[in-house]
Amino acid sequence: MNIFLLLVYGVVNLVFVVLVSPLFISLIKKVKARAQRRQGPPILQTYRNLVKLLKKETVYSENSSWIMRATPLVNLAAILTASLFVPLLVVPEPTDLIGNIILFLYLLALAKFFMALAGLDAGSVFGGMGSSREMAILALFEPVIIVVFAALAFAYKTVNIPDIFRGALASNVLVNPVMILIAASIFIVIIVESARIPVDNPETHLELTMVHEAMILEQSGKNLAMLELSSAMKQTLLMGVLINTLIPWGLATDFSAPAILFSLALFLVKAVVLAVAIGLFESSCAKYRLFRLPGLFAFALFLSIITLIIEVFA
Amino acid sequence: MLQALFPYSVALFFVGSILPLLADKPNESKLLRQAALACTAVASLLILALSIETIFSSQIYNLLIYQITPQFQFSFQIDKLAAYFLGLVTVVSIAVSIYSFQYIEHYSDERRKNLTVSLMGCFILSMILVIASFSMFSFLFFWELMALFSFLLVMVDHEKKETRKAGMFYFVMTHLSTLFLLFAFLFIYVQTGTLNILAVRADPLITSIAFVFLFLGFGIKAGIIPFHKWLPYAHSTSRSNISALMSGVMIKVAIYGLVRYILLLPLQTWWGMLILSMGTVTAVLGVIYALKEHDIKRLLAYHSIENIGIILIGVGLYIIFTLSGLQAVAFLALAGALFHTLNHAIFKSLLFMASGSLVNATGTRNIEEMGGLIKRMPKTALLFLIGAVSISALPPFNGFVSELMIFQAFMQSFALANPFLELLLIIALAIFALVSALAAACFVKAFGITFLALPRSHEAKEAKEPPKLMLLGPAVLALMCALLGVFSTQIFSLFGYTLPLPNMLFIGVVLAGFYAFAFLAMREVANRKERIAETWGCGILSQNAKMAYTASGFSEPIVTILKGIFRTQKKCEHTFHDPKNAVFKEGKAEIHLLNFFEERLYLPVAEFVQRVSSKIDKIQRGDVDLHVACAFVTIVISLLIIWWFG
Repeated sequence: MNIFLLLVYGVVNLVFVVLVSPLFISLIKKVKARAQRRQGPPILQTYRNLVKLLKKETVYSENSSWIMRATPLVNLAAILTASLFVPLLVVPEPTDLIGNIILFLYLLALAKFFMALAGLDAGSVFGGMGSSREMAILALFEPVIIVVFAALAFAYKTVNIPDIFRGALASNVLVNPVMILIAASIFIVIIVESARIPVDNPETHLELTMVHEAMILEQSGKNLAMLELSSAMKQTLLMGVLINTLIPWGLATDFSAPAILFSLALFLVKAVVLAVAIGLFESSCAKYRLFRLPGLFAFALFLSIITLIIEVFA
Repeated sequence: MLQALFPYSVALFFVGSILPLLADKPNESKLLRQAALACTAVASLLILALSIETIFSSQIYNLLIYQITPQFQFSFQIDKLAAYFLGLVTVVSIAVSIYSFQYIEHYSDERRKNLTVSLMGCFILSMILVIASFSMFSFLFFWELMALFSFLLVMVDHEKKETRKAGMFYFVMTHLSTLFLLFAFLFIYVQTGTLNILAVRADPLITSIAFVFLFLGFGIKAGIIPFHKWLPYAHSTSRSNISALMSGVMIKVAIYGLVRYILLLPLQTWWGMLILSMGTVTAVLGVIYALKEHDIKRLLAYHSIENIGIILIGVGLYIIFTLSGLQAVAFLALAGALFHTLNHAIFKSLLFMASGSLVNATGTRNIEEMGGLIKRMPKTALLFLIGAVSISALPPFNGFVSELMIFQAFMQSFALANPFLELLLIIALAIFALVSALAAACFVKAFGITFLALPRSHEAKEAKEPPKLMLLGPAVLALMCALLGVFSTQIFSLFGYTLPLPNMLFIGVVLAGFYAFAFLAMREVANRKERIAETWGCGILSQNAKMAYTASGFSEPIVTILKGIFRTQKKCEHTFHDPKNAVFKEGKAEIHLLNFFEERLYLPVAEFVQRVSSKIDKIQRGDVDLHVACAFVTIVISLLIIWWFG
């Protein structure tokens, strides 16, 4: 294991995730706006929003405690750590320091745990309702996530994400029906985890959709910027998991600049296509009632269990 | 070398237990109590030291005290497994002793305080002796003592009706457990002529019978569902230092028995499947019941049930994988189960002690009446938060590492030969994931409603931080939560095990590094201006505590989604002034939660026993002659049976 290369990998991956994530957020917004025959925000709007938030003062509720102050930092730290786990451009040499699937998922859970606490901190009804629903959705969706990732682990006989990507590169993925099923499940994971229609609506915090946006309603200024950025990064990471397991071609395995640049260009193309697909998917369905979600989750669980069964009996 | 100290530390426990009973005057009794608690802590420390030495040196310590016959002897043996569990017991009892120094003074009755301290020493000692027991005879003897001492400790506040109910439940259930163990040991004795489990023949039927008895015996004590009902009662009504010991440690002694005795038998796959299924059901129902609980101590008690389920999942996986020839994965599963046993002991005792401070400060166990305590009891809040993060299995704390081991064992089961077994594992895995996430949801509720937002009662508003030692006790355990998590890889390799786990030290450092980086970057880049304002309430001018979210509100979505399991019945009755039901007169609405196990399982059995015993009762009321006649007939019948079969 080459420490230097690992460091290069970490820096490249981190910088790329941080820089590119807001792009997909605006892109999906743009696609949704176009689907509604609106102009939509400019493609750089999310970056501008983040800069604007950083320039604003931070408002804390008089009821809130240090949980409110620590949460954005914990959140960002957890997601930054998690972004070491999903190679987007170049797969690092095998190492046991990073890449454990379960650790990756639980880093996301750590972020969510603190976000839910912060939702309760100010004593506002919005925040409480958001936290309560977010945790309910998290809890009911967790079996799906774990089984999907177990299916991935089964398929490539490893619990390490970079190793899975390497396995995907070496095999012909598209002719494998299992991978297509897994891809469908991961797509659902992206939708749920980034709080999108039909589970939640990222545009609003009004009554019908009081989940994620309601939970962070009390956040402002730099804290809100950190939370927005980490949500965007989480979405990119999950998109990366989907892209690099279903269509990994072009993912660099050596650390030469041309290979990485080629991989970067190709990843951007693939991710833009995926973002457009997410936008279209969101536009094409209506928000579910909260208590209809278990049905959707049961469907996703069914899909992922079928995948595992095919793998086991094959 | 340290092992020779074992008898002395046992003696020290005795001294500690007797001291408080010698007290006459109030002022000297406080001193004696503290001396007693110090004895308990020091003796625990000695045993902790000798058990760590035993794990390192792999030397087995033997001690024979008294022998009735070679089969029935009081003999002790400390090997690696026993030493591990001794370490677990003593770590917690040191922290609980420190905590009890000041916790116990919160109550008023002097005699009762003395008695509690004395019994607590006996209780800890009996748990240590159960674990150290070599012969089955002494195991069972101290097992029963452990049950009796803990029963007496539950009954300390016996004038409360709630306590008497809890005590009764506990007394019956714990004796059911002893009874099954007695059956198991007698069965082994009848089969082999010895009390040595290794002598049991590898006949599938015989070993299975022994297994079922042992599993029932240990399972009842560990609180697996459906034998769990005593646990939330006993652990919530007893004093918090006792709850910490019972929930943190005593149910782990049952896990010790399970691992010690069952894993020595020639294993069979269906045992693994049974333990795995029971573990899964226990874990998921435990956490689901915990979600609707608003009594902080009952909530924690239900989480103990959940965690026992998780430990059993690990043990079940071990049996399945061992018999499938997957030794490495099997080892990972068992190591996960054992590590989770230790971790749960630590964070559960921590949480119980912290909740004891909460209950003392607010005078209630209902979290709906708390709120806003993070500002009034910041240190207790931090300790509780560390416990909550650990039990929710979030990295980099210890609960995460042990659950990770079990998750990883599930995910590495690809080489399993039997696909149907694999199917069982997939279902168990999905449920295990659900359990782990529901636990996180439940602790967001427990911490958020208790400590955040505004105080919901006058008592909560006036709450004060507990005295120093009541913080130090849990703080020791909180530190261990962090250390056992972050340094897990190093600790495993220190004891000579290399497991395919991520290096949590690296993750911890990276997390802390990114936290610091984000903090500094924000200070440099962002606007530093801050403003304190009111919580936004859609234009409402003054917010009050009634508007903050409640615990019932928080768990409502999950309770509604899982209403099939909770069996909530909503009843609405209306009466009207006019025949057309237009003018409303009065109405009654109630939500009834069906205690499924209590109403459908426990009470019917209890009624049956009551009926039978009331019939037998008639004979008992008769005079002495009738008794003598009965005894005579019994002897004659026994002799006839012996003559017939002999």
